[in-house]
Amino acid sequence: MMELEALQEIDSEVRALGGRIVALTPERERYTRNVHKKLSLTFDILTDLHLKTAEQFRLVFALPDYLRDLYRSFGSTLDRFHDEPEYRLPMPARYVIDKEGIIRAADVNADYTIRPEPSEAVRLLRTLRA
Amino acid sequence: MASLQSRLDEFKKAFESGAPPYNAPHDAIETTHRATAALKASGLENIALKVGDRAPEFTLFNQDHVKVNSAELLRHGPMVVSFFRGHW
Repeated sequence: MMELEALQEIDSEVRALGGRIVALTPERERYTRNVHKKLSLTFDILTDLHLKTAEQFRLVFALPDYLRDLYRSFGSTLDRFHDEPEYRLPMPARYVIDKEGIIRAADVNADYTIRPEPSEAVRLLRTLRA
Repeated sequence: MASLQSRLDEFKKAFESGAPPYNAPHDAIETTHRATAALKASGLENIALKVGDRAPEFTLFNQDHVKVNSAELLRHGPMVVSFFRGHW
């Protein structure tokens, strides 16, 4: 959620540079719709159902049983959110992809409490444009 | 506006304090640390696509049930793609 809010703050700059932001999650549309509205986002959230795209970026991992039980006890029933019984998730990741489809920045971190600053993406987009 | 990382750090501090509003039990915090350490140790981070790789094309539904194609977006300019776990 904090990632989405932070991306929202750079969306107009990204657009001014000719770019687009998209956020991918395994969650079903009923959840993406709510989040999109709640945060008044101006970029799209895409439902990567069953993590097909995250798999292609090689980001998918299965939650260990002990974490699965913990999340369930918090009411985070991922099987319902994702429409699948498996508790799999994408590693948090942010990519900048150029017009030719080549990855120019890749920030992947197993620790979901560490994220790069969105301003770094803006800086890179400026360089790509130059 | 505070940086994203400082906001995350603040949240982590509040969550791991065990105090309201999160009231996270100590063993729950330990469990999440254990899982993060295990994922880190698995080396999966190093397997993910990297700078210089070609990004896979995707076509997915957005929040309004409209199909969005990555190649179509790239025709106009570069793309920032963020993967996140969900609303919870």
